[in-house]
Amino acid sequence: MTTKPNTTFKLDPISMQVIRYAMERIADEMGYTMVRTSRSIIIKEIMDITCAVSDSKGETIAQAHHAPMLLTGFEITTRALLDHFDEEDLHDGDVIISNDPYKGGQHIMDLQTFTPVRFDRRLIGLVASIAHHADMGGATAGGVAGGLTEIYQEGLRLPMVKLYREGAECDEIFGIIANNIRVPEKTLGDIRAQASANFVGARRMKEIYEKYGPEVVEGCCEMLKDYSERRIRAGLKKIPDGTYTGVDYVDDDGVRDEPVRIQVNIHKQGDHAKIDFEGTAPQAPGNINCPLATTHAAVYYALLCVIDPHVPPNAGCYRPFQVEVQEGSCVNPRMPGAVAARTNTSQKIAEAMMKALAQAVPAQVTAGSHGQISTCGFSGFQPKTNKRFVFIDIQGGGAGAMATKDGRDGQDSHLARFMNTPVESAEMEYPVRVERYALIPDSGGAGQYRGALAPRRDTRMLVDGISFARYGDRQAFAPFGLFGGKDGAMGRFYLTRRGEEPVRLKSKGFDTLSRDDVVSICCPGAGGYGDPLGRNLDALERDLLDGKVTPERAVEDYQVVVDAKTLRIDRAATAKARSDG
Amino acid sequence: MRIGIDVGGTFTDVVGIDDATGKIHYAKVPTAPKSPADGVFAGIEKILRIAGATMDAVAYIVHGTTIGTNALIERSGARTGLITTAGFRDVLEIGRVQRPAAGLYDFTVDNPPPLVPRELRVEVAERVGATGAVVTPLDEDDAVRAVAFLKDRGVEAIAVSLLFSFLYPDHEQRIAAIVRDRFPEADVCLSCEVAPEYREYERTSTTVINAYLTPITRRYIENLEVGLSKRWGDVDLRIMQASGGCMTAATAKARAIQMVNSGPAGGAVAGSFIGSSAGEDRLVTVDMGGTSFDIARVTGGAPTVTADGKFQGLPVKIPMIDINAIGAGGGSIAWVDAGGALNVGPVSAGSEPGPVCYGRGGMRPTVTDANLVLGRLNADYFLGGEIRLDVERAREAIATEVAGPMNMEVEEAAWGILRLVNAHMVKGISVSSTERGYDVREYAMVAFGGAGPLHAAELAFDMGIRKVVIPPYAGNLSALGLLVSDTRHDFVCTVMKTARSMDAADLTARFTKLETRAGDQLQREGVDRAAVETQWSADLRYEGQSYELNTALHRRGLLTAEDVQRLADDFNDLHKKIYAYSSADEEIEIVNLRVVATGRSPEVMLAGRDGGTEPAASKETRTVYFSEEGIACSIYERDEIPVAARLPGPCLIEERISTTVVPPEADATIDPNGSIVIEWGGRAC
Repeated sequence: MTTKPNTTFKLDPISMQVIRYAMERIADEMGYTMVRTSRSIIIKEIMDITCAVSDSKGETIAQAHHAPMLLTGFEITTRALLDHFDEEDLHDGDVIISNDPYKGGQHIMDLQTFTPVRFDRRLIGLVASIAHHADMGGATAGGVAGGLTEIYQEGLRLPMVKLYREGAECDEIFGIIANNIRVPEKTLGDIRAQASANFVGARRMKEIYEKYGPEVVEGCCEMLKDYSERRIRAGLKKIPDGTYTGVDYVDDDGVRDEPVRIQVNIHKQGDHAKIDFEGTAPQAPGNINCPLATTHAAVYYALLCVIDPHVPPNAGCYRPFQVEVQEGSCVNPRMPGAVAARTNTSQKIAEAMMKALAQAVPAQVTAGSHGQISTCGFSGFQPKTNKRFVFIDIQGGGAGAMATKDGRDGQDSHLARFMNTPVESAEMEYPVRVERYALIPDSGGAGQYRGALAPRRDTRMLVDGISFARYGDRQAFAPFGLFGGKDGAMGRFYLTRRGEEPVRLKSKGFDTLSRDDVVSICCPGAGGYGDPLGRNLDALERDLLDGKVTPERAVEDYQVVVDAKTLRIDRAATAKARSDG
Repeated sequence: MRIGIDVGGTFTDVVGIDDATGKIHYAKVPTAPKSPADGVFAGIEKILRIAGATMDAVAYIVHGTTIGTNALIERSGARTGLITTAGFRDVLEIGRVQRPAAGLYDFTVDNPPPLVPRELRVEVAERVGATGAVVTPLDEDDAVRAVAFLKDRGVEAIAVSLLFSFLYPDHEQRIAAIVRDRFPEADVCLSCEVAPEYREYERTSTTVINAYLTPITRRYIENLEVGLSKRWGDVDLRIMQASGGCMTAATAKARAIQMVNSGPAGGAVAGSFIGSSAGEDRLVTVDMGGTSFDIARVTGGAPTVTADGKFQGLPVKIPMIDINAIGAGGGSIAWVDAGGALNVGPVSAGSEPGPVCYGRGGMRPTVTDANLVLGRLNADYFLGGEIRLDVERAREAIATEVAGPMNMEVEEAAWGILRLVNAHMVKGISVSSTERGYDVREYAMVAFGGAGPLHAAELAFDMGIRKVVIPPYAGNLSALGLLVSDTRHDFVCTVMKTARSMDAADLTARFTKLETRAGDQLQREGVDRAAVETQWSADLRYEGQSYELNTALHRRGLLTAEDVQRLADDFNDLHKKIYAYSSADEEIEIVNLRVVATGRSPEVMLAGRDGGTEPAASKETRTVYFSEEGIACSIYERDEIPVAARLPGPCLIEERISTTVVPPEADATIDPNGSIVIEWGGRAC
């Protein structure tokens, strides 16, 4: 289609918005293409994916609305790619694949694919799709395990290699991948879905260049980045100058039983800020180390949330910030540090950022949340077909309370944005039976606004020999309350062997299960916000009637008088009890 | 004669078709917000008067109501209880865990709270496994206790949703019997009947919505029946569904959820009808009103239907016309943000106060104000002159709110508002088509709603759509859709077997069971069994995928192994077409079987317009903007354009309820049905 639009496009703020919509459309269309063409539950149901469009400098122009964890650290990756390849080696129809945490990657399971886009032979940008895959080989299925100490155990690590050359699949690379992973038919299907998404994106980007011309598109993209930068700087100006420090902890690294300290220091001045990690623990022997791209993602995620949640998230947003992360720390590890469980750490970075920003802009932050995603991998063999299966079950937890509202019970929070696996899907596909999927009473921290309750999921094994690997967290450090709000409940994993009492399991580890063993995943809740005595009594009574807060805890945390039978609050008696102290 | 009556927010639209003469009558009466039934009665009286007919001559009435839609938006449904399998009462609240997309970085955006609070969600001991075998039998005492508890808590309706009830419905049915026995005044809804498909959250959500809406919609329909019968005796009343079909009032009382969002469905059905009459069977229908822009797709003469819908953030697993609504309309407000960029929407001035030019107190400039400033709307001929539009006020608002801050001329700013709202709609159509796997360039567009004809041609041009059809009576189209709709019911069952292991006789038996239910249902609704048309289809996927593709069976009746193979082959082809790949050697799973049963309504014949040979005469010439520069542009009156006359763009075609913009590159003609057809002639598109 060759056409000139009936409008003469020129560089003005309106054209900028028109181009912005067009670019966002590319990212969205890529996302839908991937979801629709992929095979595995982790992409289709859980949607742990994202897509982005960047310019020829590797600067992000637009992103799809999926997982921020995979987004905001993206430029570290695109720059690594542009360093790795000479520009003339990047062709139309190429798909470059990478999952190397030490080359701009996240963790081994996150496969990043990039397709260069050329217009009139000139490189104009990259389109990228990123997806969390069910398995990439390594010591345990899905890389889900505690106790691993080297990147080599975590699965097949691909440097930046071409998976497609000018539209044609490279059989050798596909062969290498197929040989090293547990469920090749699904994973390869998913990788092809990523390539399809990239090809759609590249085609659309060219169409936009054809339609509006390179000068207008590129000029508008520069304007767009400046615009986002302006919005962030304007937001920063409203935050009082100063240094704000926030500290949170990862329970342990899965190898040593000691906490891993995460400290962020935000030095804010005028319309810019520097963020450093002085005070953060050194690189850990276990696999909770957080690669640089993930660390950046967590920092920028928290900043965007607090400063301007609806700014177009592009490269301009990052310009007002300087992020310093010392190499050899657990938030920027050296080879061959293990990183598979980095989500535990990245979530704590976001939480530490919230704690720090709470001092500056108390009305714009959330209290502590589940801060991890209770990642569990069940793997074994199907009873009838003897085919291997890998079931990655991830669960949210509670969202933290804010200055204006309770946390939404059982809803996910920072960084990851994913879906659970329906009980009926899991049972029809895997030899398990879920026996309970329920909110845990009292798991939300008390406060003027209450932290969210966490879910609990009990799963019975229906066959012998299922391996159960996991990396949970927030089982030693509770989701924090803010400004008088109480902490939320910590998480727990339990194993009930047939005929035995429940035994608490380590948060990060590996066990082999037998038929009729039941695993209970109790997710962490979330912290409350503000003094519990300030809570609206109608809201508290609703919680009592709903069984979300037990009468015992209501008495203890909120100092109310509750009729144990009707669960109603006696207002007069409560007022008296409170005034009597 | 047949009557279609559609209750909207402001007006109740009525269409009467005289099947003997083909004449179509239209009427509009104000909606009575407190008591919509009164508006319905007034509308019927008016159309009978206009048509000079009595109720004796009316075969039936099809009614589109927003009563369910509004109750869901306002959360004013019945106090509802939910009974679940022990251990799973919180599934309704946990949902799928994921925050809404708008909450990616914004903590204040949450998923909606559940319709049933935790207090009213009760568990009973029972469990069915993934094969449909009973793991734990239903504890009847527990069920009795649960019902007594909900009765004591004063619920009006009870939803029952147990795990795997779509494979083994007996436990749910037993609980229903207990409810009927011990609490007969309650409405009870079972997930195995409302949405017998796998995925417990989505099924439970659907069942709960149905229960939540049943008491109020049932009372509304009963009230309507009483009123109709008091005025006119026996009247055959039918109710529009979101699937695009209609059902009898008696059935509708138990199927409240099927009425949710049925308003836009009427528009899509009518758009499909008009587009097909214009010789196009692949269409994108766009309905642009004051606040929303609804996109639907038509293939093979009918709008596509999905069972994967959501409404107000809640999953609705019943077949609905696949309508993608985005927040863009004539009332969308234009504003400059802190970073100096122009934005249009998502906030809308709605109908109250409405755009600035209405002079009803609106102060913020809207898309309608921009259209007026750019000469695209006639200030003296809006709604046929019922409302005089105030150009000066519109100019002032755009100058203050947009042009000033952005340092632009007023026309330039107004043109910017149009470009932006158009870009937003183009994005909506493109993303919607990619999500559903089709290429809009192979489609024609049908545009309606008050603002649709103003924007359609430019949207189409931008996307490479070569033909745009503007139906006659573009502002009353939903009501016409009611009369075009057939009596329809959808039946589904989950199978979950591989195609390879599927025995043809077993498949036949399962389809036949659905077919029998379908025949019974339509017969109850007065359709002669011999006249019931059914379509068989199956939702298939490759093993391990979790989204299915609905694939039609090429024939019905006694199926053979070849038919099963053909179904698998057709699925592979469809998969290739939509997803760009297929893998014939992979195992295919048959997830659901579906039977759609239709009782056809008499065909609607559009009264053809007389042909004329005289060239069309423009009624005036006015300056209209198709860029920042205005140009002199001919204005035509729609009813005075002879059929087959060719109007070169740029021009405007005005009528009482809308204005069609024909851009400079395009030509417009009137087809024999009275539709305006805009094409890009020989010019490359």
